[in-house]
Amino acid sequence: MTSHIDWRNTLPKIVACIIVVPALLVPLFTNNPASLSIVILSGIWAVVAMGFTLILWTGQFSLGQSAFMAIGGYTSAILTAHLDWPFWPSFLAAGLVSGIVACAVGAVVLRVGGFYFSIITLALGEIVRIIAMQWQSVTRGTRGLVTYPPETISLGFINIDFTASTVPWYYFMIVLVAFSGLIYWRIGKSRIGGTFFSVAANPMLAEHQGIHLMKYRVIAFTVAGVFTGLAGSFYGHFLSAMTPYTLGIQESIQVMIMSIVGGISSLVAGPIVGSVVLYNLSQFLQRLNLEGIHPVVFGGAIVCILLFLPKGTGLVDLWTKFWKRVYGEVDFYELPEDMEKDIEVH
Amino acid sequence: MHIGIWVDGLVQSCIYTTMAFGMVLVFSILGILNWAHGQFYMLGALVLYSAVMQAGLPFGAGLVIAALAMGLLGMLVERLIIDRVNVPRAIGALYVTAATISLQFFFVGGASMIWGRLEKGLGMVMPGVLTLGGVNISYQKIAVIVFTLIVMAIMYFVLEHTKIGLAIRAAAQRPDAAMLYGIHVGRIKTLVMGIGCAMAALAGCFMAPIYPVSPFMGGIPMIMSLLAIVIGGIGSLTGAIVGGVILGLLNSVIAYYMSYFSEVILFALVIIILLIRPQGLFGVAVK
Repeated sequence: MTSHIDWRNTLPKIVACIIVVPALLVPLFTNNPASLSIVILSGIWAVVAMGFTLILWTGQFSLGQSAFMAIGGYTSAILTAHLDWPFWPSFLAAGLVSGIVACAVGAVVLRVGGFYFSIITLALGEIVRIIAMQWQSVTRGTRGLVTYPPETISLGFINIDFTASTVPWYYFMIVLVAFSGLIYWRIGKSRIGGTFFSVAANPMLAEHQGIHLMKYRVIAFTVAGVFTGLAGSFYGHFLSAMTPYTLGIQESIQVMIMSIVGGISSLVAGPIVGSVVLYNLSQFLQRLNLEGIHPVVFGGAIVCILLFLPKGTGLVDLWTKFWKRVYGEVDFYELPEDMEKDIEVH
Repeated sequence: MHIGIWVDGLVQSCIYTTMAFGMVLVFSILGILNWAHGQFYMLGALVLYSAVMQAGLPFGAGLVIAALAMGLLGMLVERLIIDRVNVPRAIGALYVTAATISLQFFFVGGASMIWGRLEKGLGMVMPGVLTLGGVNISYQKIAVIVFTLIVMAIMYFVLEHTKIGLAIRAAAQRPDAAMLYGIHVGRIKTLVMGIGCAMAALAGCFMAPIYPVSPFMGGIPMIMSLLAIVIGGIGSLTGAIVGGVILGLLNSVIAYYMSYFSEVILFALVIIILLIRPQGLFGVAVK
């Protein structure tokens, strides 16, 4: 008797459940704040790396994502410390301010593309850091601002207290990653995601099709700015201090490497895989406490991943490769080559 | 007038120019930016330190050893990593960026394992001060400027008046056409990567007697030479030289007059230049 279960459809979902459900239950296995905070921070980097990938989908290469994290972090830190706002409105305000800054900066800076855009965003990161360092009256300079954990949420039967343990932070991170992942996933699947792709693949053709290049680049930059700002606010409050040294060029580069190693063909899965793998690898190597060997192994590992992966793919694409080997399915990204073959035949 | 500031700026300009020149050379042939360029600069200085202070060789021999060693290392990196990661699509540049940035970690970690994390000094190579109308300039700084001019002159001669230079220029202009005329573009790529890394090592060696040497010294010159080639226009050798001179002078002069905000002004200036002239000062606009 033949099976009526459509394995092509169900198997990926089952695998996704096998990955997601234990992820939700992690606090049951460990209460250790140190291990939990590693997982939490890799989740934060995943959100930032998603933003980087979205900008990359429009063909631009941003090296200033940590600047938007810093803007978000400082916004909520200043609002809570100087204006005595509660955490939650300042958290949302952080995303808003970061989005506004991204929109304003993007509208000016995205006029120049390619390498120049990368360099300008790199410079932007440095400028934000130096302003944070020098604007003593507001940011307290290099001493940094102390940030407070979110207020306790009363749900009647249970109090969610962020000061007592790391577990509420963990679920807060899960919600943030899930929410931003959902938005990014919808953007990627929708018409606008396809437009981003065409803007990146062939700007001239896209322009001749009536696509306003600047508009879509600024949209991608702004959306990434909003979520990166939220992640930055989370990051600042989780580390309980914002200093100018928390976020810099190193962090932007780290985000870029996470996104590329994870795979840029997907907006959500690639960044999550990349950031979880690389952040945990980096933290594990640091804990081994081998003097000096940590950056050597870390850098060598990334180079090896890039060398031995199939050309032009990330870690997440291994799953697609495996899937194609099993079922020989044609996926979205190979479509143009097939179309070329069709054209040759006719 | 503070002539000393301008001389210091000129010395910095020399270092940035030498580095930026190597980077642009690599970019024009390989089509990628080598983000580990600053680490070749750092390794060059450290190899020189070992050769001079530990092996007791004369400075000139150390210079040659450092340049050759870094040239070979650069060729090795090109053969083993960049050539294999660089897939022939726009995405290739992305993977090369990630790989060379990872090499940055690798080299910094390796250097701090071998030489330790502490800053080291090489000691004066050419003691003495030249007094010119009330202005004191140490021979050391003059030597840096003279050496840079010599390196630039050699590079100009090689590129303009030798067969290999002709091959390099041909490969930069039209790789396909160059291949049709019997130029092995793959070998040219490896050679140019070696030359670029050797130039970075030379810049590090020139600087080693003046500033302290440590595994972490590659970062700032790297960013500065990147800015220099962006100001000058990516792919233009003249642009790299002019951009390096502008940045070196600005860096030291602005830092003298307004210490805190010098970097903000520098980066803001770069942004303004790019907004007015997106292809850089000497670049050709590509539409």
